[in-house]
Amino acid sequence: IEIFRQPKDGQFTEHAIHGPGGKLGSAAVPAFTVDLEALLFEWLSSMVYWKDAAGVVFREAPLTLTRDGEGWLLRARLIGAPVNHLTQELHADVKGVTKHLYDLKQTGGCWKVRVVLDV
Amino acid sequence: MKLNTDMTVNRITDEIWEIPTSEKPGMLVPARIYATRGILQAMDSGVFDQVTNVACLPGIRRYALCMPDGHWGYGFPIGGVAAFDVQDGVISPGGVGYDINCGMRLIRTDLTLADVQPHLEKLMTELFRKVPAGVGASGFVRLSREEFRRVMTHGARWCVERGYGWHRDLGRMEENGCIEGADPSIVTDHAIQRGINQLGTLGSGNHYLEVQVVSNERIFDPVTAAALGITGHDQIVVMVHCGSRGFGHQVASDYLKVFEKAMRRYCITVKDQQLACAPFRSPEGQDYFSAMNCAANTAFANRQAITHQIREAFTTVFGRSAEALGMELVYDVAHNIAKVERYAEGELVVHRKGATRAFGPGSPELPGAFRQTGQPVICGGSMETGSYLLVGTDRAVRDTFGSTMHGSGRTMSRAQAKRTVRGEQLQQQMKQRGILVKAVSMSGLAEEAGLAYKDISEVVESVDRAGIAKKVLELRPIGNIKG
Repeated sequence: IEIFRQPKDGQFTEHAIHGPGGKLGSAAVPAFTVDLEALLFEWLSSMVYWKDAAGVVFREAPLTLTRDGEGWLLRARLIGAPVNHLTQELHADVKGVTKHLYDLKQTGGCWKVRVVLDV
Repeated sequence: MKLNTDMTVNRITDEIWEIPTSEKPGMLVPARIYATRGILQAMDSGVFDQVTNVACLPGIRRYALCMPDGHWGYGFPIGGVAAFDVQDGVISPGGVGYDINCGMRLIRTDLTLADVQPHLEKLMTELFRKVPAGVGASGFVRLSREEFRRVMTHGARWCVERGYGWHRDLGRMEENGCIEGADPSIVTDHAIQRGINQLGTLGSGNHYLEVQVVSNERIFDPVTAAALGITGHDQIVVMVHCGSRGFGHQVASDYLKVFEKAMRRYCITVKDQQLACAPFRSPEGQDYFSAMNCAANTAFANRQAITHQIREAFTTVFGRSAEALGMELVYDVAHNIAKVERYAEGELVVHRKGATRAFGPGSPELPGAFRQTGQPVICGGSMETGSYLLVGTDRAVRDTFGSTMHGSGRTMSRAQAKRTVRGEQLQQQMKQRGILVKAVSMSGLAEEAGLAYKDISEVVESVDRAGIAKKVLELRPIGNIKG
């Protein structure tokens, strides 16, 4: 589960998130699947999507990942701030999550993932 | 000859190299790489692996191609060209790229370096203000969903009809700035939501807006240059490199998922997940083609909206209208696209991923303005080294499905570039060399340092000597906007 908790880049002051339609709050991403590799891919893709759709960069992504019968249940929230070039140190804009060389495996007691991001 | 591959690579000419079908199980056609010997030797192993993977795709015709600016991509190499029969061949989002209709635009002016130099700082500041760039940038055009759908079907024409450009601009664009057959109904709401606020924005990464100068010494074909509106004498031009932004990326992502499932139904297997494809004539293939055209049209509209902002910025700084400044469009061309075109083999779906269409003189698809010269080919170099304007040739139509290079091609990863160069330092060094850079992200700037790219002059020589484009002139940067 540690791989889902990697810290995001950037240092932001916490503000309310304002999406195109007004205050967005935070984006909640519930998802159920039997395929953990696909779930991770969808989760990462969701972050990229919301970044553009809401014009937000994310500071936190608290989540729980639990086993549910044959599958996995992900409950997550994305918390961040509207993009502001003046107050935020912005790095690469991730435009997409690719399946190129994509690999998730459990070795020993931990999970390792390789994912190539389109920037 | 030492190459970054164990495969046999045979010399066809000094600029054309071929990997035979015996080198990888499943190859249906040979792979051909266009490059000088030096460029070929420096090409990363991914190019050889990926171009031969492409050669295994169903319905491919003649060769899987890679241009001299080729480098490792997702599935297809960047610089990849592949043509598939429309009846028994496939269409693959990986052969187009995530940034659908990423492309280039060149705008000429009547201004010279002497006119611009005293005002360069003010000009670049105004351009930086007018043309949003970087993460989260939103454009000046506010669209309803209904209007965004019209952008998808009307492309650059939508902008011109609303006063963001001149009607004559359309005749200077590939497909007149709008590809027919775009159906917004098969574009997901996700894609619309992601892209609806981004019309008129530059993006980030290797996207840019650049003010350039053309000196007489760097014009190789003055007759063609003049026919395209460029006469040298330190003439100022503006180049734009950007695409369909988040909308195109989401369309690509959405359909890669669709195709992964569809491949099982059509019993297609591929050597890389990013080569996911479907038969062109299948419902999935046709839906993607239509959605891709929606994204392509938004990219044409995006570059048109940016042109409008550029013209306004010049007007503000120089106190004359864009018309009075002679700010005509030279050309706008895609380098991430799939097009249905006719060749000796019949109707083919030509995929160009980091490759530019390069139709020669007399091609019936070209408007009258280019029937004498051939189609302009705009190739962006690094922000430190400059760019080139070329024209297409009949040889390209004959040999490479009317295709040629698109830019320099990377030689170094972004991570390595950032370890080697500091953005702030690079900005200062470039200023001392007479290139004013305004960037949203300093780390992004470092990633785009000149040392991360191939020598564009050698890349251009490759295609010129191979006869698949003819060099016209070189463009030197004096100002650059980066996201």
